Amino acid sequence: MGGVDDNEPPLKRVRVPTVESGRLLKNSSFSEPVTSLVGLMARPLASEGKEDIIGSKGVIKKVEFVRIITKALYSLGYERSGAALEDESGIYLHSSAVNLFRKQVLDGYWDESLVTLRKIDHLDENILKSASFLILEQKFFELLGKNRIIDAVKMLRSEITPLGIKRKRVHELSGCIVSSSKLALLGSANMSTESANSRMKLLEELQKLFPPTVMIPERRLEHLVEQALNVQRDACYFHNSLDSTLSLYTDHQCGTGQIPSQTTQVLHGHHDEIWFLQFSNNGKYLASSSSDRSVIIWEVHEDGRVSLKHTLTGHEKPVIMVAWSPDDCQLLSCGMEEVVRRWDAISGECLHVYEKSGLGLISCAWFPDGKQLLCGVTDQNISLWDLDGKELESWKGLRATRTSDIAVTKDGKWIISLCRETAISLLDREAKREKLIEEEQTITTFSLSKHDKFLLVNLINQEIHLWSIVDEPMLITKYKGHKRSRLVIRSCFGGFEQAFVASGSEDSQVYIWHRDGGDLVRALPGHAGAVNCVSWNPTNHHMLASASDDHTIRVWGLNRVNLKRKDSGYYCNGVVHQCNGNSK
Amino acid sequence: MGLPFLIHLEGKIYSCKHCQTHLGISDDIMSRSFHCRHGKAYLFSKIVNVTVGLKEERMMMTGLHTVSDIFCVGCGSIVGWKYEAAHEKSQKYKEGKFILERFKVSGPDGSHYWVSHDPHVGGSDADDA
Repeated sequence: MGGVDDNEPPLKRVRVPTVESGRLLKNSSFSEPVTSLVGLMARPLASEGKEDIIGSKGVIKKVEFVRIITKALYSLGYERSGAALEDESGIYLHSSAVNLFRKQVLDGYWDESLVTLRKIDHLDENILKSASFLILEQKFFELLGKNRIIDAVKMLRSEITPLGIKRKRVHELSGCIVSSSKLALLGSANMSTESANSRMKLLEELQKLFPPTVMIPERRLEHLVEQALNVQRDACYFHNSLDSTLSLYTDHQCGTGQIPSQTTQVLHGHHDEIWFLQFSNNGKYLASSSSDRSVIIWEVHEDGRVSLKHTLTGHEKPVIMVAWSPDDCQLLSCGMEEVVRRWDAISGECLHVYEKSGLGLISCAWFPDGKQLLCGVTDQNISLWDLDGKELESWKGLRATRTSDIAVTKDGKWIISLCRETAISLLDREAKREKLIEEEQTITTFSLSKHDKFLLVNLINQEIHLWSIVDEPMLITKYKGHKRSRLVIRSCFGGFEQAFVASGSEDSQVYIWHRDGGDLVRALPGHAGAVNCVSWNPTNHHMLASASDDHTIRVWGLNRVNLKRKDSGYYCNGVVHQCNGNSK
Repeated sequence: MGLPFLIHLEGKIYSCKHCQTHLGISDDIMSRSFHCRHGKAYLFSKIVNVTVGLKEERMMMTGLHTVSDIFCVGCGSIVGWKYEAAHEKSQKYKEGKFILERFKVSGPDGSHYWVSHDPHVGGSDADDA
């Protein structure tokens, strides 16, 4: 990433040595040729040499540094401070010619500004022409605005056209003379009632044309600071905090302290093993399903506390899965080889029961429009239903007959299902295209990432594989450490930008890995039975929930002790590189 | 107990007598000439839906072997054992293979096998090149 030299090149880069335009002394007339400046710079006076470069790395030129600070002061509205800095440092933000030019543009002295324009250094012919065009264009529109049509036409012919550039625009301008609607379309910004406003805009456009040394780009200092923050955030390996926590006082580094590590709450409500749970899309609710044949909707309060909202009964078999509707207003629940029920998540009322006579349903998923749902059936078919229970379509697609995950991408295009013991199918029904994820071991469950870019595949051999499914499926990372030998154990994505992967485990712990690196970050004990399913709150990156055979749900949050220590502040001004190195 | 993950088999299936969990298919049977305490046993090259217990040394009819008991994932009942290692060269072919006790499984036609008290009751193992 760039240091101070990494400016975006202006439209026409001027061929001068990339040295700052030197000390801009207040009273000097700006007619010195550039070469003499170069001569000065080539042999810096001994006493000034050291002061030209500041900072410990020796890459910051003092003149540039002061000028962008001055610019920032003026942008913030601190006129007096800006002027004082220019005075005290002897380094001027703009040359006197540029200052005069700016004033003339803002006051509308177009012809004078064109003269001054030619006196500004570092501007080649192309820039001069483009700048002149912009100024004359503004003059043109203002003339039209005052109804001085003859003058405008004359100007167009004798001043703008001879510039020989932007012929198409010239045609458009002449069109404005004739058609008032076209004028309204093209020139309204330039002729706006606030002429000062439109002239400010003109100045900004001109600024973009000039080389940055002539007129410092707007918000240059802010841009550099934001760049630095981006670098810090990208380098933060375990980054899992909000942008609001980024501070300019110390280099940012989350460390593993921003990953949920401590049980903040144990939820009791189910009377038997809990096999599935999932946060709603808006993170305000949590739904869990149990072998006690009930589904519970929990509410997540502002302060992070979770409380029971509804207990949904009606299933006659253990409930193996729930699915939140895209708008979080409804919930689907699937009984084991039984029926699928659709509930109103707000009132807790059962709205519909979907069943196939003689058969059982084994999984359920919503279509992103919330108007259709998909179910897996014990006869290895996948069924598509509308909300009223009408079966729209059915096709053979599943290998298993007891449990089989199903998912639909948010664009409604791909239907993802377990088509063979070792393969997952991504089916585009419209285009009749199918992509396959093929594994060497039996696949147990899978989980789709928030933006449909990744699929987390759980295997029978205690490995979790991360696949990219954007184009052709590609295996990216493997995660190991958890235990699975008998049960359906689920994993999920979570954290800031889904940078983490979490999973349940038969050894009663919750496992968390760094998604890109694959390294195990946490193995959290607490549960007294196998952890079957985990869900990371999509809107609170510090909250994770786990469902266990011990009849409880645990809500995990940040370790409070670590948080306290971080607040007591230690200083880092970037001299020591703080971030964890990426060991991959 | 949790929600067990069960693989679904197709073909002529041998399943757990108690919970009907699929265990193996007839095509994967390597030999029907094995014996266990409860009578007949079959040697399978591949078995699904079982968990494997701890390894132990057992003296079998054909010599010392390292075996692990295998348990049905659905109900936990013991259904046979897995040969982890054979100490005699001639028995090496059994390594990595599984024994299902006929008494513990339902056959492809749903048939069960009743324990018969015959002379082989005393020993486990057999087959032999």
